[in-house]
Amino acid sequence: MNINSIKIAGAQGFYGDSPLAAIQIAKEKGADYLVIDSLAELTLSILQKDKLKDENLGYARDIEAMAYTLFPIAFKNGIKIVTNSGGLNPEVAAKKVSALLEKQGIKGIKIAFITGDNLLPQLHEMQQAGLTLENIDNGLPLSTSTSEITHANVYTGAHTISEALDKGANLILAGRVADPCLTLGILIHHFKWNLLPFPLGEGLGVRCQNDLNKLASGIAIGHLLECGGQASGGNSYAEWPMDYSISNLGYPIAEVFEDGSAIFSKLESQGGKISRNTIREQLIYEIHDPSNYITPDVIVDFTAVRIEELSTNKVRFSGIKGKPRPEKLKLSIGQMEGYMSDQFFFFSWPYAYEKALRFIETVKEIWATLPVKIERAEYSLVGINGIHGSAAPLPSKEVLDEMNEIGVRLAIKHSDLRTGKLAMQSIICLGLNGPPGLIGIPGWGKTDRIMLSLWPTLIPREWVKEKVEIIES
Amino acid sequence: MKKIKLIEIASARSGDKNDVCNIGLMAKSPEFYALLKEKVTPEKVKEHFKDLIKGPVIRYEWEAIESLNFICHQALDGGASRSLRMDTLGKNFSSHLLRMEIEIDE
Repeated sequence: MNINSIKIAGAQGFYGDSPLAAIQIAKEKGADYLVIDSLAELTLSILQKDKLKDENLGYARDIEAMAYTLFPIAFKNGIKIVTNSGGLNPEVAAKKVSALLEKQGIKGIKIAFITGDNLLPQLHEMQQAGLTLENIDNGLPLSTSTSEITHANVYTGAHTISEALDKGANLILAGRVADPCLTLGILIHHFKWNLLPFPLGEGLGVRCQNDLNKLASGIAIGHLLECGGQASGGNSYAEWPMDYSISNLGYPIAEVFEDGSAIFSKLESQGGKISRNTIREQLIYEIHDPSNYITPDVIVDFTAVRIEELSTNKVRFSGIKGKPRPEKLKLSIGQMEGYMSDQFFFFSWPYAYEKALRFIETVKEIWATLPVKIERAEYSLVGINGIHGSAAPLPSKEVLDEMNEIGVRLAIKHSDLRTGKLAMQSIICLGLNGPPGLIGIPGWGKTDRIMLSLWPTLIPREWVKEKVEIIES
Repeated sequence: MKKIKLIEIASARSGDKNDVCNIGLMAKSPEFYALLKEKVTPEKVKEHFKDLIKGPVIRYEWEAIESLNFICHQALDGGASRSLRMDTLGKNFSSHLLRMEIEIDE
């Protein structure tokens, strides 16, 4: 490891992403650290469903496979792993991975787990203490909502990550540490960056401003790494037609320097591409105001960013500025909203368009007679407006008349476990009774998928008590 | 004047935060950035997406990367975890924006 710089790889972009790119980086010692982001906004709801079924679940289960495929190679090559895959159950996740490593005879690995982001048990107490938990989107207090609460996790900062690394952790399993803070925590540990809460308001000294700029750079670099292959030429209109291999897309690796600047690259042995375009398109991804990107540790100003191509697949990244961290933390509360069911059908030439319209009309008539309540329905024509709905321009009549085939998608929302099945069963008869040539595919469509709404709110920091614990395999 | 589609002068990437969809629109050159700034107003974007975007559209200019960032509120049918749409995460808002036409001098 070069002490003047450190290499961090974006090893996974979501729960379920392929581990192959990360395994290759570990094999080639392409980085000092692997950051694995598992927690998209939706993921905690998925994990909560697991945990309701089994108290010993609630973490991102792909770490079980990684305990065999990725972790052993990484540890052998001195690479540390930082992830929020602990989800709602970091302690159980740590014990599970420890047991799996021991099974393989791998000893002496320090696994840190970080807890404290799960505030579901405290919600009642918080409300009793006078917190209204106002929804930041509509201003309503939580007490106005009667929906069942499924989870409540606060986005936490980088300090637990740096603390765990200070204690010698080889693997960190955190819960809802904000995605880019995984990376920032590594940099704070390595460069001893200053994470003190900076004074709010104008007139920061030069030193403070320098420190803030470094923290902000760490967040920006973490942001670029957290979606894996999306920074190295995946999902790219900017590089379309993507004249590089994407079957073995190399994931982004950031070599970060003490001043907060970085050089992005990827393994030469792998596909994908690192260019000004691939970095630029990931930088703007899921950002709102580029001069105020709010994270638990610092508010980031991206507006003066510099992205320069140094050579093939090497891009220099700098110019990020920081402002003092926000006073409050964001708490995301999940609420049960109901269920959704959907189904697909297909029609071919001739009259595909007209048959599809007649089919939808008939489905509506049948559903209107059912003794259950369909709260909301979406009818779309796959091949015409399945993705863009009313915004999609309708092809000309000549084109519609000659369409080879059209799909129909039906999606409904309902509040009980009876409606979805009944609604879908009630229209199967149209295979014989409906417009000619209807195709339904056995096994397609889902019934009773849980729908959740997210209630975002801000809470004072003192309600959050995080803990770093370490077990050794 | 002639009409061109944004895909000829820009690329785009979109993503979700609950019910808000952001669409980053990246010019292929600094000259095209000036054109985007002039022609692709938030009002025009909102109109282009018809019923898909129910709330306001806010636009941020991002000169350093020749990009505009459109923040579309109430755009994802309530958010990915409760949407009935196929594109629950708004990944194809980028595609639809690139289809927008603008008028330019020949």
